Amino acid sequence: MKASRSILAVLLATSFSTVAMAADVVKIAITGPFSGGSAPMGVSMRDGVKLAVSQINQRGGIAIGSKKIKIELVERDDEGKNDRGALVAQEISSMGDISAVIGTVNTGVALMGDKFYVEKGIVKIISPAAGSASMTQWSKAGVKDLPIFRFASHDGIQAQMVVEKALRLGLTKVAILHDATNYGVSGRDDLIEQINKQAGKLKVVAIEKFAIGDKDMTGQLIKAKAAGAQAILIWGIGPELAAVASGKEKLGFKVPMIGGWTLSMSNFIDTAGASGNGAFMPQTFIEDESIARAKPFIQSYHKAYGVTRIPSPVSAAQGYDAALLLAEAIHEAGSTNPAKIKLSLENLKVTVKGAIADWKKPWTKWNPSNVETHEAFRRATTVMGKVQNGRVVLANPSEKFVLEGATAN
Amino acid sequence: MDAKYLALAQMAVGGGLMGMAYALVAYGFQLTHAAGKAVNFGQGELVMLGAFAGISLSGIGLPYWLSVSGAMVVGALLGWFVERIAVRLALQQRNEGWILLTIIVGLFCVSLVENIWGREDRPFPTPWPAGALDFFGISVTWPELAIAAGALSIMTLVELAKRYTMVGIAVQAVSADPDAAELCGIRSRSAISLSWAVSGAAAAFAGTVIGPVTTVGPTMAAALTLKAFSVAVVAGLDSGFGLVIAGVALGAAENLSGYLLGSGWREAPGLILLILALALRPQGIFGKKIIRKV
Repeated sequence: MKASRSILAVLLATSFSTVAMAADVVKIAITGPFSGGSAPMGVSMRDGVKLAVSQINQRGGIAIGSKKIKIELVERDDEGKNDRGALVAQEISSMGDISAVIGTVNTGVALMGDKFYVEKGIVKIISPAAGSASMTQWSKAGVKDLPIFRFASHDGIQAQMVVEKALRLGLTKVAILHDATNYGVSGRDDLIEQINKQAGKLKVVAIEKFAIGDKDMTGQLIKAKAAGAQAILIWGIGPELAAVASGKEKLGFKVPMIGGWTLSMSNFIDTAGASGNGAFMPQTFIEDESIARAKPFIQSYHKAYGVTRIPSPVSAAQGYDAALLLAEAIHEAGSTNPAKIKLSLENLKVTVKGAIADWKKPWTKWNPSNVETHEAFRRATTVMGKVQNGRVVLANPSEKFVLEGATAN
Repeated sequence: MDAKYLALAQMAVGGGLMGMAYALVAYGFQLTHAAGKAVNFGQGELVMLGAFAGISLSGIGLPYWLSVSGAMVVGALLGWFVERIAVRLALQQRNEGWILLTIIVGLFCVSLVENIWGREDRPFPTPWPAGALDFFGISVTWPELAIAAGALSIMTLVELAKRYTMVGIAVQAVSADPDAAELCGIRSRSAISLSWAVSGAAAAFAGTVIGPVTTVGPTMAAALTLKAFSVAVVAGLDSGFGLVIAGVALGAAENLSGYLLGSGWREAPGLILLILALALRPQGIFGKKIIRKV
């Protein structure tokens, strides 16, 4: 009798939980800086995700078994601040009904907050934060089972491209400038690692840092100039990058700026104006309607948000594709259960056609000794962009085929 | 010149020109202190609001000079408003509540700006040519020159008005002795209001000349108030043009210490100067010692 009663209790409990699971919505959270210096990336990423979600919901939602469920979004502004990001992650992971999270722009926020998702096993796709540390922290900790995936060209790839670019321009002496955040410091380390791999072809003649909010970079630039730097390799975000560009112009220090993808942020391009022209940065997406694959996305984004230029095209496109991949994983999992979604993300069966590429198995089962298992982008899917009169264009037009026909992984 | 000294000179000149902006904001402190023995601790926020007003006015298509004048009108109104709602009552009751009240009004301004214009830093459009001028190897940009020229001309204009116009002389009389001035038929309240309005206009003007150099955002005010107050205290709250020397010295010292010791040490000289001045010469380097007769 006792046994049957407890079996009954278990049955009741499981039936209730299936009722909860089979609810008509799947809840997904978007987190990122929607205000502050990183806002162009956060807002574009959010709007890219929302665009994908509204298109999916218009078609009735995600097919799970015989029925379709809609996606419900929860948005949280982490202001790009590490402490605020940790609070947001804590809140979302304790809500109890969030299946997955897309977001995070600032590497420091990922470092502070993602542990809460890992504890609860909630799936998170990091995009567009690129700092290497946000994934390597898990391999260093030897985590066996990781629900964190990245959908951005990480700084390891970007630093490699920046160094390659400097070599291709025939340079031998460079200065490294970086901001004092987790992003800037880990970018500096990635650059130094890549430069060391070149066995003496490139010499770092100055390493200078600056703080968020600094407006006057002449001190750092004078030192770089005096040391004979032929280019500034730089890791920072929009407002400070712009201050470096105008400082360079003031000192008549006409050397190229080559740096992380943040050189494509609208607040760099707009504030720097003419002094920002010619800056090089790795890009996974270019806002160019002549690229057939990108055109429908660019047009729907412009229409949906009433703009003629996306504040951060890379963030928007990555947000959009990440949402499509997540929706496919939920469909393949046939469930809103985070653990099942994680398994599907690690083994996607269908190729997802996105704005950036055709995503064929972007991630595989997590292996702590190889972070690439949870990284979607490779060197081959990233191109070099260049600032030209207020927009980012392909630095090398012959690379268009990468964006046009890309099949990733 | 040796490249090393040239670099130091470049840093000192760049900092000194920015220091003129500190002097201009500090001048706003001086004006209200002279008339009513109170200062606006939200002066930096008026600078920021002035800059945003200037951006919005040029955004609707007004030419540069009209936007700057418009911003000054907005600044004058705000200065007057702060005195009217936050300072007058507290002073009448002879308490120090105005210190807190001006800070509160400043904080309120920050929220207001964040809600109207957002939290982004944005560039301030100017008609100045791009690029830099070269003085014996030292680069100076047009917006930096505009700060110096603007600060000096505003301060000169106000000082001239104080000495040679009836209104100016009346304000000076109130500043010397409000009761005696009242007996001579001067309304001291109006004189004080006027000083606050002029101080607000000077702050807003400062915003329009600083904006092109630093970009404009809701947080631009925070450091500015403190630095300008340091300048005012170091120079003396009744030092007149002594402010310019103190401002330039502070700006140059900041840049040099950032350059020589690392960017983390930029703010140190301002604080050290403030402490030294308070300890050694509380009336300010250029201030007059006030002898109170009992």
